[in-house]
Formats: sequence, structure tokens, C-alpha cells
Amino acid sequence: MDFDPYPDSRIVGTARVPNGPQRTAPPVPVKIIVAGGFGVGKTTTVGAISEISPLTTEAEMTMEGVGVDDPGQASGKTTTTIAMDFGCVTIDQTLKLYLFGTPGQTRFAFMWDDLVRGALGALVVVDTTRIDDCYPAVDYFERAGLPFVVGVNTFNGQLGYNLDEVRWALAVREDVPIVQFDARFRGSVRDALLVVLDQALDKAMKMRSS
Amino acid sequence: MTHPADPDDPAHPAAPSVRPFLRNSGPGARYQPAPPSAPAPGPPPGEQTTSLRPFVLTSGRVDGLDPSIGLETQVSSHPGALSARLSPEQRAIVHLCGEPLSVAEISARLRMHLGVTRILVGDLRAAGHLDVHVLENDFPDPETIMRVIRGLRSIS
Repeated sequence: MDFDPYPDSRIVGTARVPNGPQRTAPPVPVKIIVAGGFGVGKTTTVGAISEISPLTTEAEMTMEGVGVDDPGQASGKTTTTIAMDFGCVTIDQTLKLYLFGTPGQTRFAFMWDDLVRGALGALVVVDTTRIDDCYPAVDYFERAGLPFVVGVNTFNGQLGYNLDEVRWALAVREDVPIVQFDARFRGSVRDALLVVLDQALDKAMKMRSS
Repeated sequence: MTHPADPDDPAHPAAPSVRPFLRNSGPGARYQPAPPSAPAPGPPPGEQTTSLRPFVLTSGRVDGLDPSIGLETQVSSHPGALSARLSPEQRAIVHLCGEPLSVAEISARLRMHLGVTRILVGDLRAAGHLDVHVLENDFPDPETIMRVIRGLRSIS
């Protein structure tokens, strides 16, 4: 799909200017993180519910100091770039939900602080054949105090393990919901996100009452 | 979504040095080159972002990011900003943000690193060319969350 990067502008001379004399008030953005290992269905999850095809942005990880004190290391690589997919759902003109799919591995944790700031919560996508891929994300969200839900992606409608076994393997608190969903279907993704939002609502109510 | 080569740019005829995976975003499609014939409304001449290494665009800065500029933060440009003297990258951001847009969308559409985008947005705000709509609360209030819940429930 192609897009017009300047749909709301017109060309005047050699310049483009925004259309319309009045300026639109921006929507309030809220975000949910979709985390998990490679290939567990993060982008599928985002794409199933997003009103735009998932966009990709990249962040660069600088490894300052790596190799500086180690002249014996013959590696010239000092940066690593990671791609992050995201999508959005317009709730109404004044409210927009963003979904950010992010690699859940420890080596990408440098960007999680930015991601988590202001986030409503996270959906940790799990493939039961590779449960341990999600451990760093679970660790991080627990420490950060971010509401999260474990979503076991049933690629083919089947679970390798039942949800109790997944809970045992993850050793998450009893109040962390573990749900089963299918990343390919909008309704299924919506229901998983609603569980995340329930957790977020709990946290917001507690913050208000305290 | 594809990001084909920009036909408007004589300096980069067919294969700009944007890395292949940025042109395609779908599983399995990442490392295939974009179809050369695909029509694309690319940025106008002189407006496209370059393939310069990121720190060149930020005058060497790699940190000092304003933490209030998040991925989802909405940005909109001032009407007068178009007549200001700006770098091509800054100008592209100003063009894009005639309507409010998130920092992540700016980064994706201009194929610009997220960190670079945040630094340039911060610069443009400091120069008075952009409004960065920073939220007051760190965590959304219950009413906002309820609205998101109702909005999602209405999706079928």
C-alpha cells in the first residue's frame, strides 16, 4: 500500500502548505506495548487490529565503550539497529490508541524505558514452543510496575501446553492474567487487549484512590 | 506497505541506499527489493531524507533527548515554519506535521531513525516551529481508559 505523505496540504509555488485556516487539536495518544520474542506474532497482532498497515520505525542502539577498552577485539561494529512495528486505532477524534510491537529480548532493553513511559500496559505474546523468549519482557514489566497480560498465541488453534502450565513456567503473580488468543483475528486480539485495559483501569483506580 | 524508490530525485535514480528491510514491512518480505515500477508519491524534490549516517543529521548529538517526547507524542507544525531556514530533514518534518502526527509516524514515513527524529523534533520545538503536545499525566486517568475500552468493544 502506498500513501500520500502530505494528504492535507496543497502546493503553493514550490512549497506545500497545510490545508485549512483552522488547526486540528491533536488527539490524546495512549499506547499499549506488544512484546515478545522474534516470530511469535507481534506484527500479526498489531496488524490484526490496526487501522493502518503496521509501520516500521527503527531505533539505533549505540554500544558506547564496547571495544574501546578492548583493542584485541577486531570488531568494527559499534551500533545495532532494531526495527519496531506499530499501528493505531482511532477511538474518536480526541483519542488514539497506539500499539507498539517490540522485540522482547534483553539486548533491546535499552529502549524499553522510553516505550513504557506513559504506556497503559503490555501484551506479552507467547509461543508455547519457545516460552523462554518472553522471560525478559515479563521480568522488565514486573519491575517497571506496568500492567501486563500474557497472551498465548494459538497459531493453529491448538495450545502446546495448557494455561496452568504456562503460568507455572512463567511464575507470574496470580493477578497477572494469562489468556489464549489468535493473533490473526481482530476479535481475538481485541479481546486480549481488553484484558490489558482492565488491568490498566485497575491501576488507574488505585492511583486515584491513593 | 512499500517504500519504493523516489522517482522525483535525480540524485538517487533507482536504488537509494536505504536498507532493504525498510522498504517492505511484512513477514517474509523484508529483504526483497521494492518493485522498481511502483508509483510512489515520494517527498517533493529537495525534501527527501538522506541516507547520511544518523549523527550527521543531529550535528553529532546522540543523547540529550527530551524524555517528554515519546513515540506516541503528537507533533504539529506552525504555519510560519515553512518559510524558515531549515535543513531538508527538518523541513520534511514540518511538512508532514500540518496535521498532528505522532513521533513514531514521522520516523516511519521519513525513514529516519527514531532517535534522530526525536532530536530534530526537539530542535524544531526549541526554535518555535513545532508544537509538541506533551501530556500532563504520566499514566492515563480512569475515564480515558474507559473510553478506550468502549472504543475497542465497538470494533467487530
